[in-house]
Amino acid sequence: MSTGSVTSEPEVARLIVESLNLEMAPEEIVADAPLFGDGLGLDSIDALELALAISRRYGLELRSDDARNRQVFASLRSLAAYIDENRPR
Amino acid sequence: MTAFPLVARPAEAVLFHRPHGAVTAAGFLAAASRLAARLPAPPHAGGDDAAPVINLCADRYLFALGFAACLLRGRVSLLTGDRSPSRLAGLAARFPGMIALADGPMPMPMPMPMPVVAVADGPPGPAAVARDRAAAVPAIPADRLAAIVFTSGSTGEPVGHRKAWGALVARSVDAARRFRLGPAAPAAVVGTVPPQHMYGFETTVLLPLHAAAASWCGPAFYPVDVAAALAAVPGPRVLVTTPLQLRALLGAAIAPAPIARVISATAPLDPAMAQAAERRWGTEVWEIFGATEVGSIASRRATAGPEWRSYPRVRLAPLPPGPGEPDAASGIAAPGGLVSVRAPYAAPFPLNDRLDLQDPTRFRLLGRNGDVVKLGGRRASLAGLTRILTGIDGVEDGIFVVPDDLETRPTARLLAFAVAPGLPAEAILAELRTRIDPLFLPRRVVRLDRLPRDPLGKLPARALAELRAGDVDGDAA
Repeated sequence: MSTGSVTSEPEVARLIVESLNLEMAPEEIVADAPLFGDGLGLDSIDALELALAISRRYGLELRSDDARNRQVFASLRSLAAYIDENRPR
Repeated sequence: MTAFPLVARPAEAVLFHRPHGAVTAAGFLAAASRLAARLPAPPHAGGDDAAPVINLCADRYLFALGFAACLLRGRVSLLTGDRSPSRLAGLAARFPGMIALADGPMPMPMPMPMPVVAVADGPPGPAAVARDRAAAVPAIPADRLAAIVFTSGSTGEPVGHRKAWGALVARSVDAARRFRLGPAAPAAVVGTVPPQHMYGFETTVLLPLHAAAASWCGPAFYPVDVAAALAAVPGPRVLVTTPLQLRALLGAAIAPAPIARVISATAPLDPAMAQAAERRWGTEVWEIFGATEVGSIASRRATAGPEWRSYPRVRLAPLPPGPGEPDAASGIAAPGGLVSVRAPYAAPFPLNDRLDLQDPTRFRLLGRNGDVVKLGGRRASLAGLTRILTGIDGVEDGIFVVPDDLETRPTARLLAFAVAPGLPAEAILAELRTRIDPLFLPRRVVRLDRLPRDPLGKLPARALAELRAGDVDGDAA
């Protein structure tokens, strides 16, 4: 588990690329581009994988009744911010 | 003519567990008839599939309510897991007069103007009225077309599979017998599969109408959702899920409430994972075998070997090899093991999977028909996907390729190879995105100068294997 006080966007980008086995470099993920659909093009299986990786790395469990779920996964920036605010420290 | 009641449960039996309370058979029937009264009458002409109702409700309970209301109103429900604009436009064009049921904002701007009936929670009707209605549960003829469930066909075009009411009821009754769901201890079913998917439709929407089961209707996607759902319902609990979600739940280090039985379908379950779940949760892990065309037809204990046993009234028979099989020149061996499925109130149907039949009720799975690719419970035709790729302006030749571990590695996706001078790989991907289900989008589009075709224009198995192994130079996106 990471012990840094700030969850950085590059760190979450690395997690996305590694956990989903994407064939791209983490720095190629545009911070405010959509993760699903038109941007990175992730799908529902990726969402589950990514949630599992986030749980393992940060001890933070995502849930779908969270009204913010859509917003959380909107972009790398929003995901990193959400993890940073909500992870147990 | 045989008929089956819409609901064959006592008036007070719980059918659905919603986050804010349980819904009884009487309450469900009363709400369904209120919604039925708001649906336009079915057309007088045009066949039994004329002007169907596409049920887009995301809430499982409201979906079930919509389905029941359609049955009461004499309208056929249309189910599709794929809600891409092109799928919805195709369905709207094929079924003039189609209307939609929705429980929230429509998933996207509708491709065609279509009447939308909003499904919402109405005020609870007076208990007396609910009891009166329950006393006279409507019976639906067994041969009535109840639903058309769509999958991608071999050309990439959606194919609708017709479900007679009798066939749906018979399968619920058979599943209840197989999984010993009895009124002495009604089970709470927590399903993680959408109701528009045949597996989810059968296990979480239809089952409670005719078997001693009550279905959870709140969120159940992420591991914490599933754990919260299990905690919210009374035991005995049955978790209806997929290998990917089971893996996520096992990986989340959450201790769920006791689970009497886990049921998995849509892809083969790794026996080691089944064993881990059985040990950790003190449960039994079962798998269901099925297909959208025929629904669930067999089951097995996931830790007890590869053999499947068909549902009580389902029988399988071998089919002679037919002319429609992949030819040897394409590099794919002509498969044996094609079978036809017989079940009550359903026309005999040829399966897309190849089976080794021991007898009409026991079999092992040999493999999929060469052209079919399955991911996340959805199915697509490779030939259909390839046709979409080569139909893009600027793409001269192309092919979709399946990694060997597509069904076992969660991060595995399809690959696409294209000959497209002057068209960047990103542009090809962007174009594909508007035309195919996101699950089947290639993770990579590799541009090549030419595909390794043989003199006959076929792609030999060895060339395909080299493409698959990434043993080819090209520009990727």
